Amino acid sequence: MAQQRSFNPYTENGGTILAIAGADFAVVAGDTRQTEGYSIQTRYAPKVFRLTDKAVLAVNGFAADGNMFVKKVKQRLEWYKHAHSKDMPLQSIARLIQTMLYAKRFFPYYVYNILGGIDEQGKGAVYSFDPVGSYERETCRAAGAAQSLVQPFLDNQIYFKNQTGEHPTHLPLPHVLQLVTDSFTGATERHIEVGDGLEMFVILARGRGSQELEGVAGIREVTTSDERERVFVINRDLKRD
Amino acid sequence: MDHFPTNWGRPRSEAVDLYNTYPLHNRPGPKADAFTEGVQRTQAPIVTGTSVLAFRFKDGIIMAADNLASYGSLARFKDVQRLIPVGAYTVIGGGGDMSDLQHINHLLEGLIIEELCEEDGHALGPAEIYEYLSQVLYARRSKMDPLWNSLLVGGFKDGKSFLGYVDLLGTTYTASTLATGYGSMIAQPLLRKYVEGREETLTEDEGKKIIEECMKVLFYRDARSINKYQIATITEKGISISESLSAHTEWSFAEKIRGYGAQTQ
Amino acid sequence: MSMHSFVARFSSSAADPLSLSLQSRNATQADDEDAGIPIELWGSQAGFGSLASQGGHSFAVPKVPNPAEFLRMHTDEHEGKIKIQHGTTCLAFRFKGGVIVAVDSRASAGSYIASGTVKKVLEINKYLLGTMAGGGADCQYWETYLGIQCRLHELRNGERMSVAAASKYLANLVYGYKGMGLSMATMICGWDKSGPAVYYVDSDGTRMKGDVFSVGSGSTFAYGVLDQGYKWDLSDEEAQELGRRSIYAAGHRDAYTGNTVNLYHVRENGWEFINNYDISKLHYEGPGGITSEGYGYSVRTAEQTSRSAENDAMQEVEGDLV
Repeated sequence: MAQQRSFNPYTENGGTILAIAGADFAVVAGDTRQTEGYSIQTRYAPKVFRLTDKAVLAVNGFAADGNMFVKKVKQRLEWYKHAHSKDMPLQSIARLIQTMLYAKRFFPYYVYNILGGIDEQGKGAVYSFDPVGSYERETCRAAGAAQSLVQPFLDNQIYFKNQTGEHPTHLPLPHVLQLVTDSFTGATERHIEVGDGLEMFVILARGRGSQELEGVAGIREVTTSDERERVFVINRDLKRD
Repeated sequence: MDHFPTNWGRPRSEAVDLYNTYPLHNRPGPKADAFTEGVQRTQAPIVTGTSVLAFRFKDGIIMAADNLASYGSLARFKDVQRLIPVGAYTVIGGGGDMSDLQHINHLLEGLIIEELCEEDGHALGPAEIYEYLSQVLYARRSKMDPLWNSLLVGGFKDGKSFLGYVDLLGTTYTASTLATGYGSMIAQPLLRKYVEGREETLTEDEGKKIIEECMKVLFYRDARSINKYQIATITEKGISISESLSAHTEWSFAEKIRGYGAQTQ
Repeated sequence: MSMHSFVARFSSSAADPLSLSLQSRNATQADDEDAGIPIELWGSQAGFGSLASQGGHSFAVPKVPNPAEFLRMHTDEHEGKIKIQHGTTCLAFRFKGGVIVAVDSRASAGSYIASGTVKKVLEINKYLLGTMAGGGADCQYWETYLGIQCRLHELRNGERMSVAAASKYLANLVYGYKGMGLSMATMICGWDKSGPAVYYVDSDGTRMKGDVFSVGSGSTFAYGVLDQGYKWDLSDEEAQELGRRSIYAAGHRDAYTGNTVNLYHVRENGWEFINNYDISKLHYEGPGGITSEGYGYSVRTAEQTSRSAENDAMQEVEGDLV
C-alpha cells in the first residue's frame, strides 16, 4: 500500500559559518540569524560552540539537528574526559564526528559541520564535514547559505588563488579577523538569510601571546584554564534587514 | 547510457534502470504483520489551534492565545484554553494539533507531580520545561511520529524572564518577542516594533494594549481565529491567566462594499 | 503475536518518555540509537570501538515504510536538499612494475565545487590503497573499517591480507546494505603473494578483478587515454605518465573532475605517493621532469591552425571574431 508521507522531518534554517586555520591559532565564526523560509525566527541563535579549550565546532543547516548533534558531541567528549583524564585531541574529535554522522547514514543529520582548533603539534587546524561524515583537514572553509559567496573570497585572500606575485604562507591574526568580518558583511549584503549578528571564536595555541587581541571591542575570554590554549569570543553586529 | 554525470556512481533508481537486480527476490524484510502495518502516524493535524503570541516586559512575560480549536475550516470548539500553566513558574502556549497539545499537557502534569514528590527543594522552571519539551518533540520527530505543535514556553523564575519557541521538528529559538502560526507573519512585526528595545521599561498595561492590538489584527486577517482570547502574565508574583477578552473591531465597512455578494451596486 | 506487538508499541510503559527508571529507558527500541548505551561507550570504546561490544554496526533507520525511498527523497537525487559530496574520476591499472593509482581531487555537492583538495586515495594500510568515487563518506568510512579488519587479520593470521580477500570483505559488507542508498565505487589496489592486483568494488555488490579500471563521471575520458597507452611492459616513468595524463584528460573535459591529480605507485613492499599535480599547470607546462611540454591541445597545436592573420583581420572588421 502506497503511503503518502506529508511530514518532512527536515527544514533549512539559513545562516553561514566559516573557519580559518592560522599558524598557531584558529578562527571559527558564524552569523547569528536563524530563518525559516522568508521569516526571521530570531536574531540571535548561536551556531558556534566551544567543545574544549582546543576545539570549537560550528554547525549549520537544520538547526534542530545541529543543536542536538552538538549536544551529543559534547556528551561524548565529557565521557572521554572522565575515562581518560584529558581532553580529546582535535584529530580524534574529527574522527568521532565522522562516526557519529555516519551512524545516521540512512536518516542523516542535515548539518554541515566545521571543526576548528589547535592540533597536537600546536598548529591551527580546520576540519570540514558533509552531512554524512566525509571529512578533510583544510586551511579554510565556509559553509551554509552564503558559502558560494564567501568561499571564493577566501580562496583568493587566503590561498591567493588567481593572484600572481609573492604571498605569505601564514597570515597574521588581526588580518584574518578582518577577512572574517569582511566576509560576513559582504554575505549580509547579498544573501537574505545572513545578517543580524556575527560571533567569532578565536582559539590560541599554548604559549601564544594574546597582545593582538587587546583592545578588540566586545571581546571576552571563555577558556576554562589559563595554563593551556585560550579561547576568546568576539561579537559584532550585522545589518538586520 | 546515462548521459548525466551527476547520476554516475550513484545508487540506481529502480524506476529507471532496467538491468537492476534490486529489489532482490528473497530479501528478508522487517517482520511486520498486516495489523501493525495499518497503524498510521500523525500525518496532518486534525483539530487545530492557531497563533500564540508572547513577549518580555518589565516584570516578566506576557502571552496570549485565542480560545478556538478549529476542525479544518469549522470553528468547532470555542472555549478552549490554549495557555497551560506548568508548575508555578511557566506557561505553555500551544498552537497546532489540540490532541497532541493535550498529550503534552498530560506529560507535563506527570513531570510536575514527579518533581513535587522529590521534595528536594528544587522546582522546575521555564528553562527546564523548555529543554524537556524540545527533547520530547525532537525525539518524536526522529521517530517520524511528530507531536504536531508549535509551542511558546514563557516564564519567570529567580528574577529572570524566559521565553522560547519549540515546534514539531524540534526547532528551538529564543527572542524577546515570539509568535507562532499566522502570528509570526502578522503580529511579529508589530511586536518587534513596539517591544524591541523597551523590554526593561514596558509596563503590564502597555503590554496588554499591545496584545489587544495584535489579537485584533489577527482576528481581522486570520480566517481560523475568533475574537475571544486570554492573556497570561507570569511575573515574580506568579502566573495569572485572564478571563476571556474581546478586542473591539469595526465591521461597518462591510456594508459599503460593492461588487461582491448580493450588493453589486 | 500481532496484538502483542501492537500493545507493546502503544502501551504507555514502553513509549512513555516520562518513565524515569533507567531500565525502561534502556529497553531498546532497535532503531533508537541512544537507547541503552552501555558503559563500554565511554571513552575510547566509542566510535569504531563500539563494534566490539555491540557485535557489529547498527545504523539508525527512519521509521518509515520505505527507508531507501526516504533517503533518496531527502538527499540530492535531484529534488532533495541534503547535498552529499560526490567524488568523480579515479583510475588504477596494474603492470609489470606494480599498480598505478591516479585520482583527481574535486568534490562536488550538486553543482557547487565543495572542495578542490579532496584525498580520493584512501590509504587502507601500508600496502593497500582504495580509491574514492561516489559518496565520499561511504568510501571514507567503509575503507577505514576495512583497514581495521585487515589489521585484525594480520594479527590473527600472522600474514598480510591478500588484495582478493580485502576486496571480497568490502564487497560482501556493502552487499548487506544493497538497495539502502549507499553510493560507493572503489578500486582496491595492492601487491600481494600473487603479484600486483586491482579489484573494482561498488555498492551494488559488484566485485571484479582486472588490469585496467577507471571509475567516475570522467572515466570515459580517462579510458580514452588509458586504453591507447596501456601495455604490461611499461616502465615505471611511462606508467606514471600514463596515469597522470589520463586524469588530466578527464579533468579537462569533465565538469565534475578537476583541480589536481594525485598519483600513487604500489610496489612490492608497499605504496609510494608520487606527487600532486595542478591540472591547469599540466595543461600549460606539463609535469616538469619527463615532458616539459604542456598537455593541452592548444599548447601543442599553437601554430597549426587554418586561422591566418588576414582572415582574423577580416572577421574583426565584420564583428565576427570571437
